[in-house]
Amino acid sequence: MNDVTTTPAVLRLDSVSKSFGSNRAVRKVSLNIQSGEVIGLIGENGAGKSTLLKMLSGNYRHDEGTIAVNGREVQFRGPADALRAGIGVVHQEQSLFTNLTIAENIEVNTPMGRGGVNRLGLYNWRRLYADAAQALDLIGSHLNPKTRVSDLSFVDRQMVEIARAIRVSAASHTTPLVILDEPTAILERTETAILEREISKLRDIGSVIFVSHRLDEVMRICDRVVVMRDGELIADRPVDDVTEEELFRLMVGRETHAAVRNRRSIEATSSPIISIHDLTRAGSYADVSIDAYPGRVLAILGTSGSGRESVVRAVFGAEGFDSGSVSIAGYSGHQLSIKRAVDLGVGYVPAERKTEGMVGEMPADQNITLTHPGSAAVGPFELPRRRLSLARMWFEKLDIRPREPLHMLQDFSGGNQQKVVLAKWLNSSNLKALVLDHPLRGLDPGAAETVNAQIRSVCDGGTAIILIPDTIDEALDIADDIVVMRDGRISGVFDLGHDNPATLDLLERML
Amino acid sequence: MVHKVVAEQVAGGISTTAIRIRESGIERRARFRGLAEPLSLLVALAVLIGVFSLLNERFLTASNLQNVLTQSAIPLIVAVGATLVILLGSIDLSVEGVMGATGMTWILLSANSRGGADLGPWAWVIALGVALVIGVASGLIFTALKVPSFIVTLGMWYVGLGIATMLYGTDLLPRLEDEGLKGWTSRISFGLPNSFWVALLVIGLGIFVLRSTRIGRVTLAIGNSETIVRSAGLPAFRVKVAVFAIAALLSGLGGILATVQLDIGSPTVGSGVLFIVIPAVVIGGTHLGGGKGGILRTVLGVFLLTILNNGLILSGVESSYQSAVTGAILVAAIVFAAWSQRDRLQVAK
Repeated sequence: MNDVTTTPAVLRLDSVSKSFGSNRAVRKVSLNIQSGEVIGLIGENGAGKSTLLKMLSGNYRHDEGTIAVNGREVQFRGPADALRAGIGVVHQEQSLFTNLTIAENIEVNTPMGRGGVNRLGLYNWRRLYADAAQALDLIGSHLNPKTRVSDLSFVDRQMVEIARAIRVSAASHTTPLVILDEPTAILERTETAILEREISKLRDIGSVIFVSHRLDEVMRICDRVVVMRDGELIADRPVDDVTEEELFRLMVGRETHAAVRNRRSIEATSSPIISIHDLTRAGSYADVSIDAYPGRVLAILGTSGSGRESVVRAVFGAEGFDSGSVSIAGYSGHQLSIKRAVDLGVGYVPAERKTEGMVGEMPADQNITLTHPGSAAVGPFELPRRRLSLARMWFEKLDIRPREPLHMLQDFSGGNQQKVVLAKWLNSSNLKALVLDHPLRGLDPGAAETVNAQIRSVCDGGTAIILIPDTIDEALDIADDIVVMRDGRISGVFDLGHDNPATLDLLERML
Repeated sequence: MVHKVVAEQVAGGISTTAIRIRESGIERRARFRGLAEPLSLLVALAVLIGVFSLLNERFLTASNLQNVLTQSAIPLIVAVGATLVILLGSIDLSVEGVMGATGMTWILLSANSRGGADLGPWAWVIALGVALVIGVASGLIFTALKVPSFIVTLGMWYVGLGIATMLYGTDLLPRLEDEGLKGWTSRISFGLPNSFWVALLVIGLGIFVLRSTRIGRVTLAIGNSETIVRSAGLPAFRVKVAVFAIAALLSGLGGILATVQLDIGSPTVGSGVLFIVIPAVVIGGTHLGGGKGGILRTVLGVFLLTILNNGLILSGVESSYQSAVTGAILVAAIVFAAWSQRDRLQVAK
C-alpha cells in the first residue's frame, strides 16, 4: 500500500462517496494530507463539505471508497473511533458546557479510569486539571483550566475546543488531525488574528483542515486549498498558485459581479431618516451623533468594546440609553420601544439570528409574514394561501434554497435563514430604515453576495441602511458613509462620496 | 504590500494586548461572581435576623435557634435532592407524596400502636425502597417516555398520597411506640438537634456528589445542554433516572424523620414542605432552567424561609395572615434574586 520509506499520510481519502437516498452528497473525493499541513476546505453551503467532515468525525459512514489514517484503513463506527484515531473536530456551533470548567470540557471524551475520573465515577480534580493543562500547553494556550467556560471570550472557547480535539490523540501520542469548521465565523477581527496565530502553531504538532468562508483568511493561514462544488472535489491547489478571485470562481462557478458602487456625497437638501443626537449610555458609549440618510448605507466600524452594537440596538429600541435622543422619521422620544421602532418603519436583522431573528420551529413562510403580513392579511386574519404565494415570491427574488416555504426555518442553511430574516422586513410596505447587525456572519461568499445585492437594491429604493459589518472590506465594499467608533466614542466620520479612507486609516481609528 | 506588512504588525500588537486584557477580565469577573450572589443572600439573612431579634427578644435565644434548626432539617434534606433535579432543568413536585408513602410504610413496619410487625432496621430499608421505586418510576417515565417532569411528578405526588392513604386505611392513627425514637429528631447532641446532624450529613454528601462525581457533573452538563451531552456520548439517560431516584430517596428520608417528629403516622406528613423547598432552591440562585446553582445556596435559601416563618410567628403575626405574608415575601424575594438573570430582550417564558 504505502511506501515504507516515506511516512504515510496523516489522512488519505480514496474516492470516498456518500449518498442520502438519491442525493449524492459526496462523490468520489480523494485527498491526501501530510503531517504539518494546514489544508483549507472551501465550498458553498450544500457543496458537501459538512457531509465530508461528518464522515471524518465518525458521525456518518462512507458508502464507497477508503479512508486511511496514518497508513491504516479505518471504519469509524462513531465519534469515539475517530477521536481515538486522532481526528478531532471543532464544530461551527460551539459544543462546550459553558457552566463547567475548561478542564472538564477538555476531558469530556477521556474514558473513565484513564484520566481524572476513576472507574467509579469519582473525580480526581488535581489529575483532571493537570491533564487539561497539558493539552492546553500543547497548543500554546495559557488559560487556567479551573476557569469556567462562561467567563471566556469566543476565541478562548475555540482554543478550548481545539485542546479537546487534540486531547485523545495527545494521550496516545498519535499525530492529531484537527478539523476546524468555520472557527472564525463569529469572531471579531482582533480575535480572528489571535486564532490565526494559534492555528499556525498547530503545524508543529499535527495537521489541520480549516473550513472557512473568508477567502482572504484561507489564503493567509493555509498551505493548500481544496475546493468542493456539488459534492465533488474540483480543485486542490497550493495557495501560492491561486488568487482569491480564482477561488471564488471555482467555488461559485461564476465571476464576482460586485460592481463598484457609484457613490455620491450627501445632498444638502436631503434630511436624515434616523438622527442620533448625543446618545449616551454609561459604561457603553457616550456623545454619539449619527445621521442616516435615505438611499445611503451607513457602516459603523469598531472593535468589540467600541459600543457600536449597543448604539444600533438602541435605535431599534432593543436596548435603553441614558441621555441624548434618537429621532426616526421625524418622531423623537425618550421612550423608544421595539414596537414603536417597527411602527415607524425600522427593520432590524440581529447578529444573534437563531435567538432574536427567527422562529426556527415555524415554517419559513410564517416567518416572513411574522412582523409585516402585507398582502397575506385580511383584517386580523392571515390567509395561508396568500401567505404562501407571498413567500414564493420572496424565495424567488432572494434565491432562497430549497424552494420550500413550508419547511421549518431551522432546517434551512444559515445563508438561507438570513435571507428569510431579511425578507421579513422587506415585506413591509413602509420600510424607512433597515438596521443590519453583522448580516453576513456565517454566510458563504455566494450567499453573502446575494444578501449584499439585496441590501443595495433596498437602499436604492430610498431606505436608509445602518450596517455593522464583519470586516473593514465589507464596509468599503458597500457603504456610502462610514462612522468609526472607539471605546464608545466616534473617532472618525467619512462620506465616501468625497473621502477615500485607506484600510489602515480606518483600522487606526478603531484601535 | 507595505500596507499589508504594517497592518499585520498592528494586528500582532493587538493580539498581545488583547490577550492580556482578556485574561485579567476573566479573573476579575470570576472572582466577582463567586462572591456577589451568596453574599447578597447572607446579607438578607443577617437583615432578617436583625429585624426579628429587635421585634422579639426571644428570637435570638439558644432554644429558639435550636428550634429553627430542627424546623429547617427536613426541608434541607429534601431540598438537596430538589436542587439536583432543578440543576437538570427539571422539577420534582412529588416530594410530599413520597414523604407520605414512605412515612406510612415505615411507621406501620416499626413498633406502633396498631401492633403488627416490628421489622426494626428492615422497616427503614423497605420504606426507603418504596421511595426509590417512586423515584425510579418518575425518572423512567420522564426520561424514556419524554413526558415533562412537571407533569410526571405532579402525578406521582398523588400516587404517593394514594399509597399512604391506602396504608392508613380506616384504622386508628398509628402512634410511635419506641420510646428511644420519640422526640429523637429535636433532641440535642453536641449542641445541635439530631435531625439537623442528619441534614448536615446529607448536605455534605450532596456537595460531594455534585462536585466530585460523574453523576453530579453530568447533571450540571445536562442542565447546560442535553444535546451536547448526548453528542459527547455521556450517559444522560442513566444520570437523569439516578437523580430522580436520589431526590425521591431524600424525600423518603425526610418523610420518615417527619413521622418521628410528629409521633404519629399520617399521609399528609409532608404537607407544606414543597412550598419551602422549591422557593428555597430558586431564592438560593439555582436556575430553573438548569445548569447553574448549587447546594450551599439552597441551604441559605432554606434558612431564609425557615427563619422568616419562625420570626413571623414570634413577632405575633396572626396565623391567618401568615401564609399571605410568606407568599408575598417569597414573590418579592424571587423577583429580587432573579433580577440579574433577565434576558437581554426581557423575554420570559
